[in-house]
Amino acid sequence: MNSDLAEADRRMETVIDAALGELPLRPAPPGLEVRVLQELSRRAALPWWRHSFAGWPVSARVGFVLVCIMLIGLAFLGGLWALESLGSPALGLLSMPWARHVLALVNVAAELASLARIVPPTWVYQGLAASVVLYAALFGLGIAAYRTLYLDPNSQVILRS
Amino acid sequence: MRAYQDMVFSTAARLAGNDAQAEDISQEVFVKAYEHFDHLRGSETAGGWLKTVATNLSLNYLSRYRKRWRLFSEELDLPEAALPDAAPGELAADQQHAAIEAALRRLPEHQRVPLVLYHFEDFTYEEIAAQLGASLAKIKTDIRRARAALLPLLKQMGLDSA
Repeated sequence: MNSDLAEADRRMETVIDAALGELPLRPAPPGLEVRVLQELSRRAALPWWRHSFAGWPVSARVGFVLVCIMLIGLAFLGGLWALESLGSPALGLLSMPWARHVLALVNVAAELASLARIVPPTWVYQGLAASVVLYAALFGLGIAAYRTLYLDPNSQVILRS
Repeated sequence: MRAYQDMVFSTAARLAGNDAQAEDISQEVFVKAYEHFDHLRGSETAGGWLKTVATNLSLNYLSRYRKRWRLFSEELDLPEAALPDAAPGELAADQQHAAIEAALRRLPEHQRVPLVLYHFEDFTYEEIAAQLGASLAKIKTDIRRARAALLPLLKQMGLDSA
């Protein structure tokens, strides 16, 4: 029984292999060569810093590495300096420009939070529901556009006389 | 490029199952070839290199993009692979080839890809399982089902006597 099945499988493999083996290569689209040349021209026209790092000039690569090392050093020194400033936290922090920016952001967040408390909850729920509906509509539109415009109808054309 | 473009496009089209995507993959293959032009120029293995890159890029494409766009594309109902009106045994060779290519495209991806790798790219079952990250048993089952799906068409054409 098993040997019959194995024999049938082997025969099917032989038939399929022969049929597929006789298939000629599919001709590439006539525009492929032009597309490749255009893509090569487009990539060649890109400035050097938009190529991969391996394609950068040696001087730029060396400079980039040096700048990275300097930044790491500065970050390390900045961290040490911040730790030393912790001795007088409030005065030390406020004397730093970034601390003032953080404080401003915290104030804005507090204002927004108090605004949220004033807005009726129904408005919030309605706004969320509208967002969900709009998101779903946009998603559906994206699916319809992709299936209509992007999927190549030629790839699904089945031979008919 | 002209000497290899049909081979590269065929490899990509049969694996991806979509001509537009196969053209994108082929373009990428030749751009990569240009980047390795010094290595490939005059090399006897240039054809093999291009075929390998085409296969790998097609598989990468399938694993990366097809999963992402499954919702967008898999619900499409492809029409049945129908033969022309002529009696199947009387079809011209090019009509038979087109019908077989169409039937290949109609196979679900999990059957078409291992079938193409086995019969066109000469991968072994073990290599296919490793490449696709699937079990050997699943690969064998998928290929057997793909063959079984193609067989009726070949019988109609009288190509089952090999």
